[in-house]
Amino acid sequence: MWNKVFTGFGYWDVISWLIFFFIASFFALWLRSIGRRDYKEGTEQDEIYWSGNPVPEDGAEISVPASSSYWGFRKALEPYYKVLVAMHSGHIRDYVGYYVVTAALIAALILVV
Amino acid sequence: MNWQEHLPALILAIPLLGAFATPLFSLGGKTLRNVWMVSISFLTLVLAFFIWKYVGANGVMVYVMGAEKATLALPSGMTYPVRIILEIDGMSAFMALAGSIVSFAGAVYSVQFMDRFTGMNRFTSLYFLLTAGMLGLMITGDLFNFFVFLEIASVASFGLIAFWRDKPEAIEASFKYMLISQLSAMMVLIAIGTLYGRYNVLNMAGVASMLHLGFAEKFVLAFLVVALATKCGTFPMHMWMPDAYAEAPAGVTCLLVAVSQASLYGLMRVCFSLYGATIGSTFIPWVIVIFGTASMFFGVSMAVVQHEVKRLMGYHSISQVGYMLLGLGVGLLALGNPQAMADYGFTAIKGGVYHIFNYTMYKALLFLTAGALYYATGTRDLDKLGGLARKMPYTTFMFAIAAAAISGLPPFNGFVSKLLIYESVFAVHPFFTVAALVTSILTLASFVKVFQTAFLGPEKACFATVKEVPTSMIMGMAILTLAIVLLTLFPTWVLSNLVEPAAKALVDQGGYIGAIMGGGL
Repeated sequence: MWNKVFTGFGYWDVISWLIFFFIASFFALWLRSIGRRDYKEGTEQDEIYWSGNPVPEDGAEISVPASSSYWGFRKALEPYYKVLVAMHSGHIRDYVGYYVVTAALIAALILVV
Repeated sequence: MNWQEHLPALILAIPLLGAFATPLFSLGGKTLRNVWMVSISFLTLVLAFFIWKYVGANGVMVYVMGAEKATLALPSGMTYPVRIILEIDGMSAFMALAGSIVSFAGAVYSVQFMDRFTGMNRFTSLYFLLTAGMLGLMITGDLFNFFVFLEIASVASFGLIAFWRDKPEAIEASFKYMLISQLSAMMVLIAIGTLYGRYNVLNMAGVASMLHLGFAEKFVLAFLVVALATKCGTFPMHMWMPDAYAEAPAGVTCLLVAVSQASLYGLMRVCFSLYGATIGSTFIPWVIVIFGTASMFFGVSMAVVQHEVKRLMGYHSISQVGYMLLGLGVGLLALGNPQAMADYGFTAIKGGVYHIFNYTMYKALLFLTAGALYYATGTRDLDKLGGLARKMPYTTFMFAIAAAAISGLPPFNGFVSKLLIYESVFAVHPFFTVAALVTSILTLASFVKVFQTAFLGPEKACFATVKEVPTSMIMGMAILTLAIVLLTLFPTWVLSNLVEPAAKALVDQGGYIGAIMGGGL
């Protein structure tokens, strides 16, 4: 039950990983415990730093929306995404088209390959 | 009479009874209907567990519908089986167990998730019809019966996807799925009709025992591969999936994940058990490998740029199906070569089969957590969500586990099945491993995005009154979380007792045929 999983090329041992996880957790908690103890809750010490400006009350104003995540990634791959998003047009005509073309292609190729 | 020999019929009869008796039980009020829904799905799970235990101990189960003796496949000295026969080997039992767990979790979750809506009688009936269709696909040994269950599952799906019929998007998603699904069903029917015309038999083992790869059989194979690949969401026929998964109620999406796996099971049954070594050239195995690689990469590429949480998860489903197709396709490539099968083919099949179970659990859980977000906030748009971890701690915790599992982070279960796939497909070409690894990194990236935008960050004023979802929804999610944790902690046990028997059954075409053609005695 707790043995290693052999893949034919290597192995996976969940116990070793859990031991590693607990050792890492121990060190993380130990590092945390030696931090400063003169921190005062409820004072300006635990206020958010917002580039020196007053922090907006509503969290919605200081959140990065999901649409802005990985902007650089999408910008760098813009030509790729242009084609891929265009394929997902939402038109059922296109969906059926991809289906029929794929089916025809495989049915034709299976006879010759 | 040994009651256990009737388990195959019972596992279909119970959800069918659940479906057709729901209107009667609904007369007793909401509580009785909810108790009925949870009890029937739990009973189905118990039956699936008994079947899995029985098959593990005694080998293939055969059940002949309407025969004097349920296990007599060839009565009165007949050469070929003529009745509808249910045939459950290790792979079928494995699939039925996974599907039943998800069906139970979805039913428990739906009790309170759907409480705000009317039409729950219809919902419950359709839910059980979908469960019956899914289980039928997994345990039938008859080709036409397979088509019938495919249609039962499809028709129930159309109704459930469009359940919120006041939303035009739900109707549109259901219509798209209906059109694609019916196109696939027609191709399956043409393929089955062709095989029946050629061999005069509809039993899978009977056809497999006679099958010679001619012109018609090649067409049949192409039709079945394309139709079933479409139903499980393979690129480029996957377009219906994000729409349907996004618009269906969360408990239904959870079950649809398992239903798509029933189609994948059908695809593998056709390739391994119906055609097997007679599949001829490596063309179809390569088609499956290419389908898998393309689904993995293009599915995750589309997921990364989504900002609607269920659509994002829908695209991930396509990507995850890609892993399974890749693993099983590589196994199929090695099928005619014992050395290749021993070196990497069987490991790839084990990886693919293991990933089916893992994927079914964590993806079902992810859809339930997405449903919890929608239930609590009224939106699925990640641009609007945020700061919910403090308000919904249980949902956050379970989402984090499922997200880590799907991303293949060690030590979670997704990592183990992906590791088996990475290392075995490397033997065919390193490109496939690289593609799988890149897909895994992008999966992690997109779930980090979901976690950061929906759960972390400062509290938003519009969600000030949001609170954790009701108990039944937490229970539904907890069932799947528990399954993920067990799959994570005991991978060796899972491999030896669940995955390997299923993988062995899949490659053992002789055993599948012999269970029927040997007379079932």
